[in-house]
Amino acid sequence: MKAVAIVTGMCLVFVFVWERVDVVRLGYSIERLKTQKTLLERERDQLQVKFSALTAPERIARVATDKLGLMPPQQGQVFIVHPQPDRPLLATPPAEQLRIARTMFPVGGAK
Amino acid sequence: MGPSRGRRYILLHLLLAGFGVILFRLVSLQVLQAAELTARADRQHQKSVTMEGARGTVTDRHGKVFAMNVEVPSIFGVPTSLDSPANAARSLSPVLHIRREEIEKKLRQDRHFVWLARKVEPEQGRRLEQLSIDGIGMVMEGRRFYPKGPLLAHVLGFVGMDGVGLEGLERRYESQLHGEKRLTILQRDALGRTVFPKDLREQVPATGQALTLTIDEVIQYIAEKELEEAVDHARAKSGTIIVMEPRTGAVLAMAVSPRFDPNAVASLTADRWRNRALTDTYEPGSTMKVVVAAAALEERVMMPGSMLFGENGRMTIANTTIHDHEKLGWMTFAQMIQKSSNIGAAKTGMLVGDQRLYRYLQAFGFGQRTDIDLPGEVSGLLKAPREWGRRSLASISMGQEVGVTPLQMITAVSAIANDGVLMKPYVVAEVRDQKGQRMKEILPQVKRRVVSPATAHTLTTIMEGVVSSGTGTKAAIPGFRVAGKTGTAQKVDPRTGTYSSALSIGSFVGFVPADAPRLTIIVVIDEPQGEAWGGVVAAPVFRRVGEQVLTYLGVPRDDQVKIAMAAR
Repeated sequence: MKAVAIVTGMCLVFVFVWERVDVVRLGYSIERLKTQKTLLERERDQLQVKFSALTAPERIARVATDKLGLMPPQQGQVFIVHPQPDRPLLATPPAEQLRIARTMFPVGGAK
Repeated sequence: MGPSRGRRYILLHLLLAGFGVILFRLVSLQVLQAAELTARADRQHQKSVTMEGARGTVTDRHGKVFAMNVEVPSIFGVPTSLDSPANAARSLSPVLHIRREEIEKKLRQDRHFVWLARKVEPEQGRRLEQLSIDGIGMVMEGRRFYPKGPLLAHVLGFVGMDGVGLEGLERRYESQLHGEKRLTILQRDALGRTVFPKDLREQVPATGQALTLTIDEVIQYIAEKELEEAVDHARAKSGTIIVMEPRTGAVLAMAVSPRFDPNAVASLTADRWRNRALTDTYEPGSTMKVVVAAAALEERVMMPGSMLFGENGRMTIANTTIHDHEKLGWMTFAQMIQKSSNIGAAKTGMLVGDQRLYRYLQAFGFGQRTDIDLPGEVSGLLKAPREWGRRSLASISMGQEVGVTPLQMITAVSAIANDGVLMKPYVVAEVRDQKGQRMKEILPQVKRRVVSPATAHTLTTIMEGVVSSGTGTKAAIPGFRVAGKTGTAQKVDPRTGTYSSALSIGSFVGFVPADAPRLTIIVVIDEPQGEAWGGVVAAPVFRRVGEQVLTYLGVPRDDQVKIAMAAR
């Protein structure tokens, strides 16, 4: 009986000590993961800023004109079509719309 | 008592005395000094830090980021821990881009802590880590970034080094944008490493709320690009363009020239970052005739076909002469607006009368703030009739003796486009919390009805005439019906106190499509060199902005609608 009590007592002490050590170990683990999370969030934010700067209309326009030699469409070169079925502004199929657009507004300027 | 008993007695007393000492020490440590020792232990294995949530982001109506916070390194030195300030300064100078002497001077101070550079680029922090200099360290701090550079800078404003909003939306919405500050206690081990927060339920401080604007990034870009070109071309002092949705009062773009970059404001003065669209007043000149005409039509003083005599371009009122830009004879009321006759406007104003005209000017929002959600707005200048002189009624009718902001003028003209209903202008559409949940939605707000729908429609037709055959033909956008009004106002020369012949403001305000308005646009060019007529310097800018924005929004041209109808 006495031996059982001693063994039980030792087990309890062992569980208590193991639990305390594990809490500390988990604490370090949590901190490591939190640091990793912070670093990843920081990187995400930096990439978001970079993305926003790269997609700024001013930059896109500069690249389009200076690097790619593009230019803004002139009057009559833009023909708006509305392909969404819920907003059928134009009832004709796209091919017909394009034919009309090309006839009305040939490439190179408005009629 | 034998000798052995005596020894046992002594031993017992010694033991008792020993236990007594231990007991005394125990009571002393656990009871008498308990508070002090507990505090000392806490100081050694606990670290309290003030954690601050990131400042909220600012995006346009489609979620494009205009302003956000990123954690970046701030560099500090501990002079008392440095072996050689000179060597440290030599290594740091090329990384921090600060003169070596300046760094060395800071490091030679008899202090435990000095800032060397706050909120530097992440790359500089990485290079500094590689140097690994004892006595030099870094901490991470939130820095505000404006990734679009100068785009929308006058509306966004900026924050100071401490992260508090100083101008623009950053200032107006400071209480929503700033992150939560919270004191957190961390446990640390013998090596000083953080183990975990004392209270595991401790929450991370909340990020500030995010603002979604009514502004559209692309429309803002179009407005700023065209304004810069116009100001450069006219060699003007400054300029403003506002694009508004007349049905709601939502501001789609607010461009001010000269521009500035909110990422680098340290070297700039308030003159550069002032949002002139709502802080600067100007005499509107002929654009004010729209309001006078609205009052005359609403009060049935005039009909579009009512006849007025132009006095052949000269008329004397209160011993002063009013001129028109051309010799006009008999003309209809509609022609008076289309040709922008000062004499016709003065006569109309006199028929409306001072009290009624003042009432309409107030109803359209002049002389009071629009209450837009931006700081620094002024109320303009509108004197009460009892303060008017003998010429005031005529002067105000042609846009003199009254000071307005571009925002007031576009809001007033938007009321015409909106069937006579004045809306409150606004730039913030939504406020969201850190999880993206909508905290507040700002809905369009009606201020009041200023004229009847019938008057608004009649006036729209008259204003269409300004663009089709009047002073604003350069504002015409092929394929769209445009209604608008030109304005040219002389400025008061600060040296003489009289109207200058050289300094003027050219403006144009209008809306498109006139039959179903989607946009109201105002263009104000301040002190253009050469030809300063609103129809010459501002109307073409209106056309270019309107044309691009309508295309971007996918608004079909009249001829496209006809083709579509024919194809059905």
